[in-house]
Amino acid sequence: MSTENTTSTELDELRSAVRDFMTAKADERAVRAAIDSERGYDDKVWAQMAEQLGLQSLALPTEHGGDGYGLVELTVVLEEMGRALLPSPFLSSVVLAGTALVAAGGDEAARILPGIAAGTTTATLAPPNVDGGWSLGGRGTGDALAVTASAGTDDVTLEGTAPLVLDGAGADVLLVVAGGPAGPGLYAVDADAAGLTRTPLPVLDLTRRIATVTFAATPARLVGAAGGAAAILDRVLDVATTALAAEQVGAARACLEASTTYAKDRVQFGRQIGSFQAVKHKAADMLTRVQVADAAAREAARAVDGLADAPEAGVAAAVAHAVCSEAFLAVATENIQVHGGIGFTWEHAAHLYYRRAKASQLLFGGPAVYYERLLAKAGV
Amino acid sequence: MPSEMDQFVAEVTAFLDAHATRRARAAEDVAWGEGEDRITYFSTDPPDVENAKVAAAKAWQRTRYDNGFGWITGPTEFGGRGLTTLHDLVYDGLEAGYDVPETGVLSLIGLGMIGPTILAHGTDELKQRYLPRLYSGEIIACQLFSEPAAGSDLASLETKAVRDGDGWILNGQKVWTSVAHHAAIGLALCRSNPDNPKHKGITAFVVDMTAPGVDVRPLRQMSGGSEFNEVFLTDVHVGDDHRLGPVDGGWGVALTTLMNERASVGGEGAGPVGRAVALPFLTELLRANGRLDDGAARRRLAELHADTLATEYLNHQMVRKFRAGEQPGPEASVSKLMYAQNLTRGAHFAAEIIGPRLIADTGAWGTYSWTELLLSTPALRILGGTEEIMKNILAERVLGLPKEPGIDTRSPFRELRRSAGATESRSA
Ligand SMILES: Cc1cc2nc3c(=O)[nH]c(=O)nc-3n(C[C@H](O)[C@H](O)[C@H](O)COP(=O)(O)OP(=O)(O)OC[C@H]3O[C@@H](n4cnc5c(N)ncnc54)[C@H](O)[C@@H]3O)c2cc1C
Repeated sequence: MSTENTTSTELDELRSAVRDFMTAKADERAVRAAIDSERGYDDKVWAQMAEQLGLQSLALPTEHGGDGYGLVELTVVLEEMGRALLPSPFLSSVVLAGTALVAAGGDEAARILPGIAAGTTTATLAPPNVDGGWSLGGRGTGDALAVTASAGTDDVTLEGTAPLVLDGAGADVLLVVAGGPAGPGLYAVDADAAGLTRTPLPVLDLTRRIATVTFAATPARLVGAAGGAAAILDRVLDVATTALAAEQVGAARACLEASTTYAKDRVQFGRQIGSFQAVKHKAADMLTRVQVADAAAREAARAVDGLADAPEAGVAAAVAHAVCSEAFLAVATENIQVHGGIGFTWEHAAHLYYRRAKASQLLFGGPAVYYERLLAKAGV
Repeated sequence: MPSEMDQFVAEVTAFLDAHATRRARAAEDVAWGEGEDRITYFSTDPPDVENAKVAAAKAWQRTRYDNGFGWITGPTEFGGRGLTTLHDLVYDGLEAGYDVPETGVLSLIGLGMIGPTILAHGTDELKQRYLPRLYSGEIIACQLFSEPAAGSDLASLETKAVRDGDGWILNGQKVWTSVAHHAAIGLALCRSNPDNPKHKGITAFVVDMTAPGVDVRPLRQMSGGSEFNEVFLTDVHVGDDHRLGPVDGGWGVALTTLMNERASVGGEGAGPVGRAVALPFLTELLRANGRLDDGAARRRLAELHADTLATEYLNHQMVRKFRAGEQPGPEASVSKLMYAQNLTRGAHFAAEIIGPRLIADTGAWGTYSWTELLLSTPALRILGGTEEIMKNILAERVLGLPKEPGIDTRSPFRELRRSAGATESRSA
């Protein structure tokens, strides 16, 4: 597999295919319908993503039913999903669970991955900490593991409550980092397992569902090596924050375009508001942020794919996570401002992006975590 | 079989090994407490030191040129090597690993902006006359654009060019002219037709800086040194063969220069100045001041580092676009804005950590030395198009937002209000 061989023309073709799909299947009306639905996303669209475009399989390894591409290609897809604010379990199932399973390896992973690649199984990975954080570093009390596993490798059961599980109520398979005798390990639990309680929670970002998941003597299977979660989680965070960064860039660009269009249309004081320099400079600042975020997200994708001339993956992913989180939040905030009163209405899409921006920024811990992660990755 | 680029790399490496010494460590990577602690952007050197540095810069450029690296992208008939921008970037990357004289005095304006403008708009004779001399380091060129009443609004410049037989007579004043005191030629924009609208009555000339009537007076910068000047032009005669571009068509010439200016101001950042945003150096700064566990300081450092690396990634992307034969988009302007911001933040971050020891020279290593950068960074938001003008350009040209409503692009230049004072005196 050499992802360096995908030309920019091929990436452009991929982008336009995905954009056409999103325009047809995930316009604002469709997004709002999905938000109001029981499941939180349109499962027909999810199936078509797999059948027509093969998006779920794109960046998974060929030996597990994937197409063997990398983050460089997936970035294009994620940007378009972010742009549309597509509600779907893609981040939880393909990115979080998919990456964890590939990193863990072994029979159990090989059993689950083909379904994820085909879009017929959805999986998710619960944040390991009691406060919803993702650290095994043990820096604070919040870092305590939310779930513990019983001893042994057969007939393992889980005990505890994972508080903020992405798509936790709907996923077919739940992956959990649980404390075990050999240290934190990765475990898989089926949706119909005994002693499993899943409680959907009210959410800030209406386009992503979150649940609390409680395990009471719930049967689970070890994935990969016993006590092997630390390395898995490190890889998951690099990949997932890079994937999130691509989504953030796509969504931020959508906000910039919405503001630019509105600034050309809206007339006050007999002029287009975009001719007022305060508005113009705001737009230029938004553009600057989007360009820099775009560069950071792309470079992180190249780094995570291990391309020859790319920077160290951990550093580039941490840069992208910080820069893209800050950029998207700033741009989504200014998008409301450029729109004035209409931007503060429920009917306008601006708040959907603002909600996504704030929730995405905090999803893996937020600024206090991502800036320290960058310093740690850079050796400070 | 080695690729063409591999051969180029081997050739450059052989040249550099023969003529320069490899650096023991990256330029921005100094051992804490040892060696040079100055972080200079604008020079504060006394004239003899400055002149010696200019001579060394010219000599090194000559060596580059004699070995085929003086003008890598230039056409061969004018002394260039005929290679691509990518070759140029590869050369820069390799040279950064060696200790060589700093050549900014030649490259930033002369080679980076004036050379490309002469190449794009000059007659073959003019190109033959000046380009080899410029790129071999024999002469330095300056940019005679800004005037006291024409800065951001460059097209309102007033220096007059009047026909005189088969030549022209120039009269007027230029200002903020960097390196004019070392320059043999200058690219001057002049008002040739005040009856046309302001953009349509300008003509560009290559001016001999040693000609009678050219008076260069140094101006002292807030940073203490004198690298820019005011230049008075009094009845300066210029032959019509030194005109660049059509009569009254000088604005197109100016745009070529300005485009190259934006491209050249962004990408720098290596060298000693790079230390101001280099994580290892700033980490040592924290350690030396016992602040490595200070959460607020760590947060500011991390924020700066994230933006610095993201800007670096943006520059990498520009390089990759060149490599793929694509034209970069707004990256150059964005990079310029970010560069100024990052360097400014680096300087103020260091100042916060150093505290009062920065405000007077106690002789302690790496403390008062930061004042040079602190006194230089304000210029980065002004030169080469102010921050505000860059934002106008991004918003109008990239995003397509409407221009400011204005009448001054249509009316004849002589009818425009050019300063508040002028209007008052007219109404008095
Ligand atoms: C260190 C240094 C070196 C330089 N070297 C050279 C050189 O070699 N050759 C040369 O020709 N020039 C040179 N310059 C000049 C430089 O290009 C000008 O200073 C710059 O273009 C700004 O012009 P000004 O100084 O007249 O400021 P002004 O144009 O008067 O601007 C003053 C303020 O008003 C703002 N402003 C002006 N117009 C607008 C607008 N439309 N919208 C919003 N805000 C606006 C500006 O952003 C600025 O904040 C140099 C400047 C510096 C500082």
